[in-house]
Parts: sequence; structure tokens; C-alpha cells
Amino acid sequence: MTTESLLVLPGDEIDPSLIPTHKKNPLRLGPGLRHVPPNHILPTVAGQLVADHRKTSLYVEYNGGRYIPSVSDLVIGQVTRSAADLYYVNLNPYTPNASLPHLAFEGATKKTRPQLAPGALVYARISLANRHMDPELECVSATTGKAEGLGPLTGGMIFDISLGLARRLLMARSREAGGIAVLELLGAEGLAFETAVGRNGKVWVGSENTKTVVLVGRALKETDEKGLDVEQQKKLVQKLIKQMR
Amino acid sequence: MPREAEPSLNERQFVLQALTENLRLDGREFDKYRPLELTFGDEYGVADVTLGKTRVLAKTSAEVTVPYVDRPLDGIFTIATELSPMTSPAFELNRPTETEVLLSRLIEKTVRRSGAMDTESLCLVAGQKCWSVRVDVHVLSHDGNLTDAACFAVVAALRHFRKPDTSMEGGVLTVYTPAEREPVPLSWLHSPFCVTWSFYGEEGEIALLDASWSEEQIRVGSCTISLNRHGEICQIAKLGGTPVEAVALLQCTNVALTKVKEFSTFLDKKLAEDAKRRDKGGLMAELSAENDR
Amino acid sequence: MPATREPEADLSVLPKADGSARYSYAGYTVTGSVNGPIEAQRRDEHAYEAHVDVIVRPAAGVGGTRERHLETTLQSSLTQLILVKNFPRSLIQIVLQVESAPENDYVNTKLVQASLNFAIIPALLQTAVLALLSAAVPMRATATSAIVAVVSQDGASELVADPSPREVEAAQSVHVLAFTSQDELLLAESEGDFTVKEWDDVYDTAKRICCQSGATKGESIEMVLDEKGDNGPDMRQFLRSTLETKVVADLYWK
Repeated sequence: MTTESLLVLPGDEIDPSLIPTHKKNPLRLGPGLRHVPPNHILPTVAGQLVADHRKTSLYVEYNGGRYIPSVSDLVIGQVTRSAADLYYVNLNPYTPNASLPHLAFEGATKKTRPQLAPGALVYARISLANRHMDPELECVSATTGKAEGLGPLTGGMIFDISLGLARRLLMARSREAGGIAVLELLGAEGLAFETAVGRNGKVWVGSENTKTVVLVGRALKETDEKGLDVEQQKKLVQKLIKQMR
Repeated sequence: MPREAEPSLNERQFVLQALTENLRLDGREFDKYRPLELTFGDEYGVADVTLGKTRVLAKTSAEVTVPYVDRPLDGIFTIATELSPMTSPAFELNRPTETEVLLSRLIEKTVRRSGAMDTESLCLVAGQKCWSVRVDVHVLSHDGNLTDAACFAVVAALRHFRKPDTSMEGGVLTVYTPAEREPVPLSWLHSPFCVTWSFYGEEGEIALLDASWSEEQIRVGSCTISLNRHGEICQIAKLGGTPVEAVALLQCTNVALTKVKEFSTFLDKKLAEDAKRRDKGGLMAELSAENDR
Repeated sequence: MPATREPEADLSVLPKADGSARYSYAGYTVTGSVNGPIEAQRRDEHAYEAHVDVIVRPAAGVGGTRERHLETTLQSSLTQLILVKNFPRSLIQIVLQVESAPENDYVNTKLVQASLNFAIIPALLQTAVLALLSAAVPMRATATSAIVAVVSQDGASELVADPSPREVEAAQSVHVLAFTSQDELLLAESEGDFTVKEWDDVYDTAKRICCQSGATKGESIEMVLDEKGDNGPDMRQFLRSTLETKVVADLYWK
């Protein structure tokens, strides 16, 4: 891959030679950067500047902070209350609620919509995020009309993880690109469980077996807090499995 | 002021289910504390206590002031526990929440009202001059069991503290600055500690020690027992919640005693280590004004 | 106790806050936490920008007017740094807890009414900036800060960077300055009697401490070395290396 990396702090000058250019494609700025007209590109957070020449994109890779909603992110929210035609859903403690219309579920009509009690969890996609408005969610794909795995989460347990880990877990090839193999390894040990990862730093783990859920949760938390690499994750998984038996 | 997040239904259900299967989310046993750590600051009377992810900083300070009119022979001893938004954005300054009031009441009862410090020794001139000792408790991070951590920090800070030395000559009171005379420790009588149990289940039949924040959120009752290592109970507070069997409470008290003994030994060890660190060239032994109690 | 000569900092020390930092330098130790953007209270809500709330808590005693003054000073500086327009109607809450301040061994201080003097501003500002970086709050630039005292000796005035409490007491005037990473003056607070010439000297000294990073800025290193004696630590370089450690740790998996 044609990527280069460099530490940047907010307001640092970016060396023009690092900025990818392409004859036709416009430059795409990812998170952590802002464009100051006419021609300045400045970082806004501390992190690693990543330039992808193939996609002509530039972004800052960082971890930490509070989740800021952005369109088409998958998130896990908690229903706070129900209004006439929508649910108020909390994505993040101490932040304003997002809204989830009652009809934004697969095949939902006035009569068949899912009934969610306050405190219930939903796995949803962000359909609208705008700095001047509260975010909006949907549990159904607007194009296919199918749930595609979204919807209420029943049973199981929810664990808080860092935003960075959530991002890595959601990567298409999380083991190779994100260096995270803990879930895979636990599955290989014969544990049966399902997960849902929210970009807002939450993981839902469901299983018939309570022990399994506790174990998966501990493995994730420990990987996150101690910053374990794939080898260490293997050791951790083996240790936890041994403890359980 | 944003409201504190409530646990989701799934969490409530799951944590209870796990507890009935003898499991805690962090893999601890029911009567195990999270790792307790204590560091003293460079100054006297600063104790930084971490209990898992809960972190409390206590700072002791003293100044000479006028005693209360109704207690001319006593010094002044105050413990200030104010929760700042650092603890959680749900706390607001100058607007005490229930958590804050309960915390300060429990620590007050445990440390001040149990006579852990000899307040009469703080009197300098009857009715005119006395020491005012103040402990400020700063909760830096709240992940459950604030009471036990804060109480431990307060006791540690007070035992570590040294107040400026004073002398009375011909009716003239002199307070020596640290540069003139080595400060002296407070006159300390006994070290009480808090042990908090959290109860779960319909009849509170499941009892947990050192509940984390998420566990605290769904408990049906709690009981804080304060005692010293001699087994002398300073206070027991069970503020509402589901009724608990008397026999179970007795059992809780017994376990609390063993925990308090552990705390006590741990604190003594840390204080000794710190004294060694400060002891430059063995001068301290000669300068020490401590009397054996 | 000897004051630390080199600045020290740890990032993300508080697991529950969005971002946090513990910074100690010249006898001051401050722990700061940042939460945000979070929901603002009605009275703090601005339609077009985030409200920056700064709370300064003394180590001992209750805060008073001096703390409120420090809070307003810091708030206006930090609002300039944070991209507040990105988060309308929200709140960015910064709590700065003083853990220790250098004590004057020759005076017994009154403690119940805490009295933070403004010599602590650099430590507070530095902690706030580090905590904001740790919370990944979008910012226009970073900032560094320095304190310089003008001490008169035998008729000639001398500049002292990072003065001790005794020197502050004896000084004719004390100045706190802060610069952004783009070398712009962010904050200037002065106390005492001073001339325009003295202020210019103070400005130059503070700027050198805050903005030296000679190598990266393309200035000749000799220029820095030419100056006699103690230049104080290179704050900008310190900030960068602290953050570098954090970023490397965060992205260990790359």
C-alpha cells in the first residue's frame, strides 16, 4: 500500500509533498483535518497522518475522545423514551439523544413496529448527522428495505471499548489490517457467541452461555486496555479459557 | 447538567444472571477487592488512592485559627468532600447530589465522629488559638465504591500529615515554618476503614464487596460498615433498599474485619516505606517528636 | 522538596473521562480532565458554537474569586484554540485539579481560603492543552506558556523564567504569556510595575521558551545557543514528544 505516516499536532503545517495528487480525482480529506480556504490543510487532532495515494485521500489516524456521529456509521444505542412516532436513543452518555423513527425498521407499519421499552438496546445505522441537528438513526436499509442485521438487541451484554478498537473490529480484515484477532481466536476455541460492534465504542455480545459472554467481554476489555498484539491476544485467550474450565 | 446514564435492560438482566451463576464481569470473586494502590505526594499529607479504576486524592492542610466558642478546648477538624464534574459530568459544583451527601456523611461518621484524631491535642491556647485541620477529598475518577476508597485516602492522608511545630513561651505562641523546625505528626488514636457491601437478588441474598460502577447501578441495597483493626465498629449504615437477613449482615461484618485488617497492614507498610524514603541519613529518628501510644 | 526541573506529563490518566492529563513542572502538579462535546445546559447553550467550561479546583480549601478569575482567563484563551464552531449547542468541560503547588518553606500559608496566584497559569494552560489533545477535541492549534518575573538587583533589572514563590514575591513584576503553535500571542497577563522596554524583553524571553523548536522552525540553532545561561525547557518540543508517545501507544497495532 502506498501509505506514509507522520506525527501531526493541531495546526501543524503539512508538507505539500505528502499531499496526494491525482490528475482527475479530487483530494478527499478524512477525519482530523480541515481545509482553510484558499489552500491550507491543517490537522485538528494529534495523531498519525496517513496519505493514501491510490485513493487520493488524506486523514489523521488517532484513538480516543468521544464519539461524534457521522453518517452511515453503525452504532449501538439505548432507548431512553418513546415519543409519538419516534424513539429517543442515546448513543453516548451525557450527549443529546438521537432519534429513531418507529417506522425505520424492516417491514414496520403502524401496527407491526417493534415495541421498545426504555433501556432497550438497538443496533442502528446513522442516517443523518449534522452539527446543527441531533442525529437520526435507521434500522433498515433505505435501498433494499431489509434490516441487514440491524434492529433490537435482546439478551446479551454490552461492553464499552475505545473508539479505536471499535474501528478496528469493524474493519473488513480486522486481523490483517487492524491487528485484532481476539474474537476469531475465541471462536476457534469452540465458544459460541455473536457480537455487534458499534462505532460509538460499544460491543454487544450475546450467547446462550453466560460464562462465554463474560469471557468474551473480559478478553475484549483486556486487549483494549493493555494494547495487546495478536501474539499476546493468543496467550490471553488461552489463559482465559483455562480459567473457565 | 446532563443526567447520569442509566444501565440498559440488557445489562441489568445480564449482570443479575451472571451473579446467580457466581460470576462477576471482571472475573473477581464476590468478596475480593480490586487492586488497591496508595502513593504519597512529595508534600506531607497527600495520599493518592486507586482502587481499580476509581481514583481519589486526599490532601490535608492545617492552619492556626480561633476555636469554636462552645468548644474552647478542641481544635477544628473538617473533611471536605465535594464532587466536581471531573468525577462525572453529571455532578455540578455547589449543587450536592445524593451521592455526595452520603459520601461526606459516611466519612464524617467514620473518621471524625469515631474520634480517630485527638482533637484536644489541636488546642494551642484555650479559647483563643487552635489548629484547624482540613482534609480535602478530590475524586478524580469514579468507577464504583467511592466510600471505601475515599475513607482509605482520608485516613492515609491524615496519618501521613505533619503540622508545623509550635511552642509557647511566656504567653507568646510561635509557629515554626518548615524551614525552622521539622513538622510534627497529628496525634492519632485509631484508624477506621469503611467496607461496603452491595446486595442483589429479590431478598438481597447475593452480597458483593467493592462493587464497580456498573454493579453499583443495579444493586438493590448496600451497607457500609466502618471499623478498625481491633474489631471496634464505628458505624454501620444501611440506607434503605431491600431488607437483608440479620445473619447475613453478621457474616458481612466478619468479612469486613478481615478486610480492615488487610487495609491496616497495607497502610502501615506504605507509611513505613515512605518514612524510609524521606529519612535522609537517619536524622529523622532523632528529630521525631512522636510518642508511643 | 526540590521542584522538578524538567516538565513531565502523562496522558489519559483518568479512565472514565474522554481525555485527561497530569502535568508537573516547577513544583506545580495539575491533573486535568476533558469531557466533550456533551450536552450543554440551557443557560450555557450557544446557537452557533460550543461553550467551553473551565473549572479550576485548588488542592486545599474552597475556591474563591481568584479561581474564578483564573477560570475566565483560561476560558477565553482555550475558546480561541478549540474549534468551537464545530459543535454548536454543546459543552466542552475542562476540569483542572491542582494537586500541588510549590510551597514557600519560609512562610506558613493560610489555607482554608485557597489563594492560587497567577504564577500557576502556565501549568493550568499546559494541562488543559494536553488533556484536550488526549480527548481528541478538534483544535486550531496547540499552545505553550511561560512565566517570567522581572527582579531588580542593584538597580539593574533581571529576567527570571519560572520563578520560585519567593522570587515571585520579591519580583517587581510578573508576566504570564502564552503562544499558539503558529507563534501568535494567545495570552498576556502582567502584575506589578514595569516599563515598555521590560515588557518587550519579557515578551522575547517568553517567546523563546514557548516557540523555540529552532530546528523545526528553520531558525538557526546558534541563535538559541547564543543566549546566555538557562533558557528554560523547550516547551513545544516537550509537547510534541509527549504526544508522540501517546500516538505510538494508541496505534501500536499499525
